[in-house]
Amino acid sequence: MTRTPWGGAALAAALLALAVIGPWIAPDPLLMEAGTLLPPSSAHLLGTDQHSRDVFARLAHGARVSLTVAGVAVIIALVIGSTVGVIAGAGGSVLSASLRRITDLALALPRIVVLMVLLAALGTLPPLTFAMIIGVTGWPAIARLVRGETLRLRQAEYVIAARALGAPPPRVLWREILPGALAPAIIAATLGVADAILLEAGLSFLGLGIMAPAPSWGGMILESRDYLHAAPWLLLVPVAALVAATSSATLLGEALRRFLQPDTQ
Amino acid sequence: MTGWLARRSVDAVVSAAAAILLLVALVHVMPGDPLAVILGDRPADAATVARLRERYGIDRSLPQALGDFARGAVRGDLGIALSEQRPVTTVLREHVGPTLLLGSLTLLINFTVGLALGLWWALHPGTMRSRIVSAATVVGYALPTFAIGMVLVWIFAVELGWLPVAGSSDPLLPADAPLSQAVVDRLEHLVLPLTTMVMATIAVPIRQQRSAARAVAAQPWVRAARARGLSPVVVAWRHCWRPALTPIVTLLGLWLPMLVSGAVLVESVFAWPGLGTLLAEATVNRDVPLVIGAGVLLVIAVQLGSLLADVLYRVVDPAQRQP
Amino acid sequence: MTPLLEISNLRVMFPVRGADPVVPVDDVSFSLAPGELVALVGESGCGKSLTGLSIPGLLPTGALLGPATSVRYDGAELTGLDERALRPFRGQRIAMIFQDPMASLNPVMRVGAQIGEAITAHRRVPRAEVDRRVVDLLAEVGIADPASRARSYPHQLSGGMRQRVMIAIALAGEPGLLIADEPTTALDVTVQAQILELLDRLRVARGMAVLLITHDLGIVAGRADRVLVMYAGRIVETAPTGPLFARPDHPYTAGLFASIPRLGGSAARLSPIPGTVPRPDQWPDGCRFHPRCPVCVDKCTRERPLLLPIERDDHLAACWVAQGNVA
Repeated sequence: MTRTPWGGAALAAALLALAVIGPWIAPDPLLMEAGTLLPPSSAHLLGTDQHSRDVFARLAHGARVSLTVAGVAVIIALVIGSTVGVIAGAGGSVLSASLRRITDLALALPRIVVLMVLLAALGTLPPLTFAMIIGVTGWPAIARLVRGETLRLRQAEYVIAARALGAPPPRVLWREILPGALAPAIIAATLGVADAILLEAGLSFLGLGIMAPAPSWGGMILESRDYLHAAPWLLLVPVAALVAATSSATLLGEALRRFLQPDTQ
Repeated sequence: MTGWLARRSVDAVVSAAAAILLLVALVHVMPGDPLAVILGDRPADAATVARLRERYGIDRSLPQALGDFARGAVRGDLGIALSEQRPVTTVLREHVGPTLLLGSLTLLINFTVGLALGLWWALHPGTMRSRIVSAATVVGYALPTFAIGMVLVWIFAVELGWLPVAGSSDPLLPADAPLSQAVVDRLEHLVLPLTTMVMATIAVPIRQQRSAARAVAAQPWVRAARARGLSPVVVAWRHCWRPALTPIVTLLGLWLPMLVSGAVLVESVFAWPGLGTLLAEATVNRDVPLVIGAGVLLVIAVQLGSLLADVLYRVVDPAQRQP
Repeated sequence: MTPLLEISNLRVMFPVRGADPVVPVDDVSFSLAPGELVALVGESGCGKSLTGLSIPGLLPTGALLGPATSVRYDGAELTGLDERALRPFRGQRIAMIFQDPMASLNPVMRVGAQIGEAITAHRRVPRAEVDRRVVDLLAEVGIADPASRARSYPHQLSGGMRQRVMIAIALAGEPGLLIADEPTTALDVTVQAQILELLDRLRVARGMAVLLITHDLGIVAGRADRVLVMYAGRIVETAPTGPLFARPDHPYTAGLFASIPRLGGSAARLSPIPGTVPRPDQWPDGCRFHPRCPVCVDKCTRERPLLLPIERDDHLAACWVAQGNVA
């Protein structure tokens, strides 16, 4: 296993560049004129699909969608999860007790089940709303982590010392406990980017996420299904992008863990 | 132990029930008109609409909806699947078998091959082969399940033609075919989905077993056991492997949700006629009662898994049994 | 009389890539007679535990022995033997107990089973006979209600009882030598005394030699026949217990005595040795104690003092000042 964050960082930078710059230099992802199922060439770097659309253009636009959805989802999960977790871990009040119950309850529901139920009730969603429901279903795991860390830190000597010096409880929570409890949450969130990307791609693959003709990696994989023999690049290109995205998030998360929590593992 | 088991079981039942009711409530408070799904494009007069609203209980209050659902569920009635107009429980029953087959085989392989690989890895650090295992598990963590499936389909079904593309059996196989032929057919259909499930999930047991075994191997009691003059095999099994089971069992409860979400995508890739495919199709069809029904089963499975993990945890770790 | 254990030129080395090896135990020689209780004393980090572990070949992976090292038990050379060849010595002739009695017992095995496996490790014994001997051993180490205690798991026992179980395991092989590595450090003071009492009693009853490794000179008095004082990987002083306590010759030994609280002594007179034991890769030249030594002279910084007799033949110290050879 690599000891440095550079592999993950380089991969992430390349994907971000693809998402930010790619759509500017690539042709229109919806344009249909070149000819169907053309193999990669200098005119079409990654070939064309069954509707004569440029695969590189769809990949770049798909990257933008994928990363935006994942980013929004993870930030939502992180904000809700840490807030709930810190309050639940702080203990004492009725509020923290009920938040603790709710977190436990939410943890009993597999994320994919909640997502499916929401999608069945709501029908197809615009990308941003879709990102929000991925985020909203991701908070319980982070809340559990932050709650555990808060409980642990409340017993830590420096926190007891702060309390003994007469710091008011909300201040102790905000200044002393939250920063410490956030480290594992941020690590989990970085690793969670990979989960969010996979969920977005998976749901789009099932026809439940980003809807055709809008480009998305999961949707591209779904559409490649009938052309596996004639045009395998239609499958391999988005799969490679997905693997790159999830591995870079995993590698970065692990690197972050080694940096923020050198004592674990 | 029995007292604890009773308390823990009650706890599991309560959690499952609460989680299921939460799902029902979630659907109830969501915007979106179920009638649009039921009616589709068909025109309907006001009387029909009123009748349908009555029949599907659309205008109920939240407590009423929860109460009706709970009463039905206790009697084994989860409502009518919108897309098929059959009881949800009937539809579910038809899809349980294939999922159990796929899921249990995946667990079995994870627990045997995965744990053996993890132990081997722990005992042979730094060799070339162990570095390959290490790299493979890092990649395995990041691999998108359905993408593995699609790539396997491309290689082994489309290009090489060795295995069927999808389904759980050959529809052209005559009904009176000999058993051996039917079994071979079923196995051929199983290979790709099972390989995909295993590839997507086995990294966790491998890594977990490895770190557990390594942590245990560094414990003073292992050195103490060697100081006793025990044979290396006895030291490895009794004093390394056996104590390392505790953290593994804890993970069992966490694997089940992972298997569940993996199953939804993998089954869909291979059109494996299980609960995962059913759940995905029902969601596409916006068949809320069926989605909730599948959700109920999955929630119960996850609760059962975590209950089982807790029980096993007590069995393998005497410090958890009191006094 | 031939010694039971004879160690000469013991060197434990950890190879370092691209640098000199680290040598936490450097040229240590001593011997034990049958039935003798010898204490090996020194601060933590001075190589005592590695010395103990090297005897039955239980050094951590990566550690190497020096080429001149010889460890002889009852005349048989143990260095160079592989795991297989060492097994008959471990437990059966040389037993060991460790500092942390909780961590030294397998948490998922009943203590009786752990004693039992020590009995059957070297010979075939019928099941019923094993059970009986487990109970006998537990009784011998002073555990009340041994039959039911044998069915306990380690977490159900107190620290002192766990150490008694460890001793029972050590006795199971009927060893001629027991190496006790800080056996009382993790225990309460009152329990410490009981465990030491037990060790002493068993030594006499079984004629078993004991190598007692400890950082605490206070527990040595009145029990050990001889004391070896170790500092920074070397033995710096050795003498029978009485003469050593009467007049320590090495300033390090004197420093250890000065840091023991004594009944009637005032707290102000308690004077710990300044500084700490340096890391094994940073040991100074000459006498390794010289940076912390109150009587250090110029020669000490340059030349290594050898272990030589001071006044009595059996009282040796490695100190230029004590040897009166400072020129």
